[in-house]
Amino acid sequence: MNRSIILYGLIWLLLGLLAGCSQQPAADSNQISRADGVLRLFNWNNYINPKTLRRFEQQCRCQVTQDYYSDNEELLAKLAAGATGYDLLVPTGNAMDTLIRQGALRPLDKTLLPNLKNINESYLNTAFDPGNQYSVPYATTITLIGFNREKMQELDLPTDSWALIFEPIHLQKIRGRVTVLDSQRELMAAALSYLGYSVNDTDPSHWQQAKELIIRAKPYWAAFNNTSYIRELAVGNLWVAHGYSNDMFQAAQDARNSGRSFMVDFVIPREGATLSLDSMVLHHSGRRPDIAHQFINFMLEGENSAELTNLIGSGNPNRAAKEYIRADISSNPVIFPDTAELARLEMLKELDHKQRRLLSRTWTEVKLR
Amino acid sequence: MQRRNMMKWLISLPPMLFLLVFFAAPSLIMIVTSFRYPGEFSGLAPLSASDIVSGAPSDLYGLTLETYQFFFSDTLYAEIFLKSFAVATASTLICLLLAYPLALLIARSDKRHRNLMILLVILPFASNFLIRIYAWMIILGPESALNHAVNSLLALMGLPPVMLLFSPFAVLVGMVYVHLPFMILPLYTNLEKHDPVLLDAAQDLGANRWQRFWRVTWPQSLPGVFSGTALVFIPVLGMFAVPDILGGTSDILIGNLIKDQFLGTRDWPFGSTLSIMLMLAVIVTAGLAAWLARPRAAASSTST
Repeated sequence: MNRSIILYGLIWLLLGLLAGCSQQPAADSNQISRADGVLRLFNWNNYINPKTLRRFEQQCRCQVTQDYYSDNEELLAKLAAGATGYDLLVPTGNAMDTLIRQGALRPLDKTLLPNLKNINESYLNTAFDPGNQYSVPYATTITLIGFNREKMQELDLPTDSWALIFEPIHLQKIRGRVTVLDSQRELMAAALSYLGYSVNDTDPSHWQQAKELIIRAKPYWAAFNNTSYIRELAVGNLWVAHGYSNDMFQAAQDARNSGRSFMVDFVIPREGATLSLDSMVLHHSGRRPDIAHQFINFMLEGENSAELTNLIGSGNPNRAAKEYIRADISSNPVIFPDTAELARLEMLKELDHKQRRLLSRTWTEVKLR
Repeated sequence: MQRRNMMKWLISLPPMLFLLVFFAAPSLIMIVTSFRYPGEFSGLAPLSASDIVSGAPSDLYGLTLETYQFFFSDTLYAEIFLKSFAVATASTLICLLLAYPLALLIARSDKRHRNLMILLVILPFASNFLIRIYAWMIILGPESALNHAVNSLLALMGLPPVMLLFSPFAVLVGMVYVHLPFMILPLYTNLEKHDPVLLDAAQDLGANRWQRFWRVTWPQSLPGVFSGTALVFIPVLGMFAVPDILGGTSDILIGNLIKDQFLGTRDWPFGSTLSIMLMLAVIVTAGLAAWLARPRAAASSTST
């Protein structure tokens, strides 16, 4: 009798571990059978306002289901591993490039998208999708530095340069209070920008320099981190974080709402940074391209598009959205950079498999040393 | 007699099929994958197009040793293997040291209380594994009471303050915390079966407390120790979530590296190669451990 209890225990433990490790959304199978009137969205976490979603569901008399990813690589990896049935994806430029070249996307029918006229031309016709055959801009984010303003003033540190996270002179004052993104591409891009190269530079000797820069700065960093820096900045555990503008916006808001004695602020480093343009695209495996077109056109309406920006502080490529956006957001020069500022920003381009393997090796070395 | 044999086969058929379909077949796929070229964007290069991708003309059916050459081309990957083995060994030893007294305590306590105690050991698993690891982030965090206490103690001794979270220490704590029950349960099942008469006999023959443990209880419990060790050592070796969440900037383990190949770099062949090397390393270690444990087991069996 005792043995059977132990056995049950062991089974429970194993199940618990498995459940903890699996990141696959469980909603996969039961949705496919009810494809009728269901729009299946594969989206970033927290990347649409629930209010907007409900309004769309009422308007189209359909249902929208969402699965989530937290990284472009995760999106690509899951699609490569055979995830299907998604009508709509929201990849960033370089991931979209891969999807287009794989033939994984369905061309858009622009006659169904009259609201496309709302999009600011500078976000159309990107190198990834000339003529916007496949993609409609959704939102933008900038990878930059967020910081605790009072601490930076107190320690007299420069906040407008990547030097803040790479130079030991500055770092020694904030040792253990800094995190950087756990992303090969983004961290390399920051290092390359600081060294004066393009974020898309693939010269191995420049990568070598960037690697040395990172390894030199690494002992001062607390961790590589993609998500919890939002909370840690807002609580005051972290003073500096390399991360995304909408996350910093959230950290700033959280710090203000909980009445902290400090402000979280964020600026675009003067050496340049990466701009991520996320676009709505149709996956070829989707069953309801008609609803997907409806959805895209709906999201292109100024008010609907503005609701996302008001929720998470993302940049907005939609001109018609401006009047619905909260004044404190639309006047923020980091979320809505002017043309001069935009010129300093670059979008990441896709790497080929040889470069990816070399980068991965470099990254492994960075992580090990 | 024959019918009985038939029954045996019939009963063991479903689990065997399960293992065949979900273990043997995937392993074979992985082995083949490790000899293929990575695809231009993700996954694998089509078999027919291997020449275009690699530029090497003399590949046999699109198969290549390229990823293995890459693996052995420098010591970086060997270093990660060594480090992972060191972490796994340390976690296993700590688990054993913590689990043994507890398992012994439960096994020797009143029968009525044992099930409750075992239940308490299992209870944490009612909540999700990731949530429990995130809880450690709060416990070890820089503003936590524990961190303050440790640092004020260090300050008394005139030592510089330390950061508990995002360190190798935090990784070890997480690993031990998650895997401890896997050590306790097999040890307990073993210890519970021991016949107390043997201890009485040893005492009658003049053995002291320590001798009774070391010469009677410990040799008998070795099967439990071995299964517990396997249940802890192997999962720790492949664990990526704990170093991801609690580790600092240098706490990459082999599990993280493999996960990165599939979710970060989309390099399936290299991810497969790493997995195969890990499997080989585990098999070699297990074989070595069995070989090392052999003389000891023989000695104890002759002495009884």
